Parts: sequence; C-alpha cells; structure tokens
Amino acid sequence: MTKWGMVIDLDKCTGCQACTTACAMENSRLPGESWQDVLFYHEGTYPNVKLSWLPRPCMQCENPSCVAVCPTKATWKTEDGVVLVDWDKCIGCKYCMIACPYGVRFYMDEKPVVQPDLREVFPGDGNRIWNPPYKMPDHLEDRKRGIGVQPPGVVSKCTFCYHKISKAPKGVADLDEDNPETREYTPACVRVCPPKARYFGDLDNPDSKVNQLIADKRGVRLKEETGNKPQVYYLSGGGAPVVPGERSQRTS
Amino acid sequence: MATAALARPAFKPSPYLVGAGALFVVAFVYAMYLKLTLGHAGFNTTNYGVFWGLPIVAYDYFLLTSTGLTLLASLPLTLGLRQFDPIAKRCIWLALAALVGGVAILFMELAHPFRALWAAPLNFQTASPLFWKILCVGAYTIVLVLLALTFARGTAPAAVPKPLALLATVLALAITLIAGSVYSMMIFRPFWYGGELPVAFLIESFMGGIVFFVFFTYLIHGFSVDSVPQSTRELLAGSVGTFVAAAIFLHILFAVVRTVAGLWSYGEGLQVWRYTVDQPLYWAALIGGGIVPLVIFALPALRAQPWLQILGAVLVALGLLASRYEFVINGQLLPPFKGSWAPSPLSYEPSQLEWMLLIVGVLLANTVYAALESWSSTKES
Repeated sequence: MTKWGMVIDLDKCTGCQACTTACAMENSRLPGESWQDVLFYHEGTYPNVKLSWLPRPCMQCENPSCVAVCPTKATWKTEDGVVLVDWDKCIGCKYCMIACPYGVRFYMDEKPVVQPDLREVFPGDGNRIWNPPYKMPDHLEDRKRGIGVQPPGVVSKCTFCYHKISKAPKGVADLDEDNPETREYTPACVRVCPPKARYFGDLDNPDSKVNQLIADKRGVRLKEETGNKPQVYYLSGGGAPVVPGERSQRTS
Repeated sequence: MATAALARPAFKPSPYLVGAGALFVVAFVYAMYLKLTLGHAGFNTTNYGVFWGLPIVAYDYFLLTSTGLTLLASLPLTLGLRQFDPIAKRCIWLALAALVGGVAILFMELAHPFRALWAAPLNFQTASPLFWKILCVGAYTIVLVLLALTFARGTAPAAVPKPLALLATVLALAITLIAGSVYSMMIFRPFWYGGELPVAFLIESFMGGIVFFVFFTYLIHGFSVDSVPQSTRELLAGSVGTFVAAAIFLHILFAVVRTVAGLWSYGEGLQVWRYTVDQPLYWAALIGGGIVPLVIFALPALRAQPWLQILGAVLVALGLLASRYEFVINGQLLPPFKGSWAPSPLSYEPSQLEWMLLIVGVLLANTVYAALESWSSTKES
C-alpha cells in the first residue's frame, strides 16, 4: 500500500517561500492560513546573529495525535497515509489544534490577520467561508476530505494536495515535477520549489527516491519524542536538531 | 424509607428568580447580538496559539463545579452518610444549574454545537477524551434530571434509588477525571502534561462544589443567618468546613509543587512558569483564593462565623476561576512550534463577547437554580 511522504533538504532550501505561495494559490487559502509555511528563527544579537529557517507543511503523521483527539472522527487518515478533515463532521472544537505539536491547523473564523478582510471583499455563500476569484474548479473541491475552500466554523489543514496525488498512477514510486508522467500529480509546494529541495514519494516503496534520500542522507523527523511519527523527513547534513531549541536563549 | 407524602410541587416564582431571569435575558440578548454581528471574530482567540479562550475556561469551571456538587451529594446518596442528608437536594439543584450554565457557554462558543450531538456518539472515536466527555456529560445530564425529578416528588435522600445515585457519582467522577485528561495527555505541552492533573481536577472540583453549596445555602436564605436551620449551620461549621479546608490544602499543595517543578525545569515550553509567577493573577489566586480561605476554614473558631464562611466561599470560588483561567490560557501561551515572531509568551485577554458568555453562564445557572428552588424549595431539606 502506498504511504505518501515528503523529504525536504534543508541544505538546499533558500527560504524563498515559493512553496508557501504556491500552496495558497493551489488551495485558495486566506492570509494567515499558511498550510505550507516557512518559519524563520534568529538567535543571538548583532553582530553575532544566526538566521535559520524551516519549511513546514503538515507532517501527515503515521500516528497523528490530531486524529486521536478528534471527538467526531472529522479528522481521519486515508489508506495512503494522508491526514484529512471531513468538514461535514467538524464541530469547531479546536482540540486538534491543541493536539498538533507542529501548529499546522487553522481556524479561519478568527479576526483577520491583514486588512482588508478578504472574507468581506469576496464574501462566501454559506458553503464557503470566502469566495476567492482564483479558487480551484468546483469539481475538485471535496468537503469530506477538506479540499477547497472550507465552510465557516471548521478547521483546515494541508492535504498534501490530495486532489492531485490521489489521482496519480497506481504503484508509482515518486511524484516528481521533472517527470512528465507524474508532474500533474505532484503537490504544488514540491512542483514549484526553485532549488528542488522537496521530494515526494511512496515511503513504503524501497525503490523510491524519498527512501533513498532518507537512508543516504540520514533524514530526521521533527519532535520524535511525541510519538507522532511524521511522514515528512528533513535532510540536514546529518545534524540532529533542525529546529532551534531553547526558547529561553532566544532574544526578544 | 418511604417517600414523603407531599403534594405535587407548585411553582412559585421568587424575586430571586425574577431578578436572575431578567438579567439573564438582557445579557443573553446582548451576547447573541455580539455573536451574530461579529461571528467568531468576536473572540480574542487566534491561530497564533491561543485556541481556547475564556469560554472554555468558564465551561470547565461550571462543569467541574457541577460534578463537585454531585460528589458532595454522593456522601448521603451513595455512601449513606445520613448526617449529610440535609445537603443532598440543594447539591443536586446546584449541580443541575451549574451544568446548564456551563453547557450553554460551550454551545455559544462552538461553531457547530448541535452537530456534536450526533457526530460524537455515532462515530465512536474512543481514543479521544472529548468523545468520552461528551458521552458522559450527556448521560450525566439525564441522570441529574432524574435525580431532580425524584427529589421534586418529595423523596427523602435515604429513599433515592441507590443505582441512580451510584450512577450519578460514577459519572461525576468520570467527567472530572476525563476533563483533566483532556489537558494532561498533551506531552508536547509540558505546562499541562502530567498524570497528577486529573487528581488535581478532582480535588478542585470537590472544593468548588462545597464552596458553592456554602454560598448558595446562605443566599437562598437571603443571607439571613438566623433563618438557616441550626443543623445546617452546624454541618457547615463542622464536617463541611473541614472538607473545604482539606480540599484547599491539597489544591495549594498541587499548585505549589507544580510551580516549583515548572520553575526548576528547563524543558521547552516550561518557561511559561516564569511568566506565570510574574502575573498578579497567580498570587491573587494562590493567596486570596487559597491561603486566606484555608485559614478561615481550617480554624474552627473562624469557620463557625457564618459571614466568614461566606467570605471564604466567595474567595475560593473566585480563586478557582482565576486558577482555571491561568491553567487553560497559560498552557497555550508558548506555541509548541513557531518561528522567531513568537519568542516570548503570546498575549491574550478576553474580548467583550467572551466576558459576556461568562456572564450569561453565571446568570443562566442562577436562573435555573432559582427556578428549581421556586419549583421545589430546599430550605427545609
């Protein structure tokens, strides 16, 4: 059985945020609803400052705590390993947001993060929280899988572009934008990455590129101590922690 | 014991009911106006990290008060301690009122509360504490209503069906422990994580239940100490007062131990303890809502004074609300995974709508309690 996963090479990532933009365009996200984000960290004080960054999609965990805590099974995991939200079951309790160690879930009924409020500029029709002019075709939207523009009062999250990857040819090891046969099925963030820092493929296929990279370059997962077992791996030259740790050491 | 042969209770609206009801209607209309015009943007919760705000604090506070009152009522109803018979009916009345107030707040906070009524029971997500909480609260509501109907028929505490009383006790215990588990299972939120939390919730629930009983016993008698039956006064100054003191002591113990451990540790996320002890609210809750009432209830000479009992009860009730607020909110102030834009604790203060939901909950609980008292008074119980 396919188990989709992603590898992000931090030695290649330039922090350009093309992935963030592509995701927002592909999935019609509101400002502040960065399903795919790049987090920036700085440590130290001038002139000894270190800047680092970390691209962060949903980790699509093998053992997702968000699925475990959802009281209505609105959050569920597909057979091919992607965590999705059924918007017809979500009650908006936000327990999944509390339970996500990676902060990759969003509840967009809150105050807008930028003005003007795009929900007022492009008002929704009750089924959608807003009605963006550049949204995906209606037939691709799927409320049961959290794909498209969500209705009010529900939680949204990265789907690994499930509307694309779920249509990929069966048995394919990798979804690569350089391969004409798999390009259209490749997640938007992977497809647009200028330095090709992202790879997407089947973690259960020993011949996949993602598995080779994880093995050859000693891929690591974030917050292993939580037991969530992310399906997103980071390559960091073999270094262990890819995220700056001690909040207390950071300057305000 | 045979059921007392009383006539069907007649509903006599009291000034308390009229006052509480009128205030509730005004507050509810204003809260709904805010909710309908602002939507969820009327809350000060954000995607940055504070997902649960004051309404969740208030919901938990009311729910745990309700279970605490039921646990107090279980002394005579389940354990058969007959000296506590006079408190049973009022405890059930108050438990029902607090439950209604708390659930009403939750319903006004949730985006799809009615969807929860079918989606939770039908989908059997047994791994989720909230699934069990919803299930248990549903069953608890039914059991409390049955108990209320039993008391309204004039049934004496000793004659209340034991299975019903036992079920209420078990459900109250389960809800309290599950409510603690909702937070204590979050391993990556070290401010919350820990097996001791459900036990702390149990103690705080019991403590809240008792002080609400003390306060409302005097309130229902118009704060006229002389009109409170001598036997009830002796109970409040005796066993009930001792229970309060013991519960406050354990509550303070848990609070101090958690604080010391939090300040000593270097775990990512525990830095919020330094922020916590810098807040006046922490000390107000610990000293004003803990140490001062502990002195009042621990010293027999002081707790024998009715006005000091009332003062102590009010202090504990407010201190518990402050503690619950601090616990729920501060546990979210350090997002577990954010960038450099969030190096220090996030800020949160309740919005006008969030305060209104708390006020609506308080007034609704009072209205329900006053209605129950008007329906079947507990004054002579």
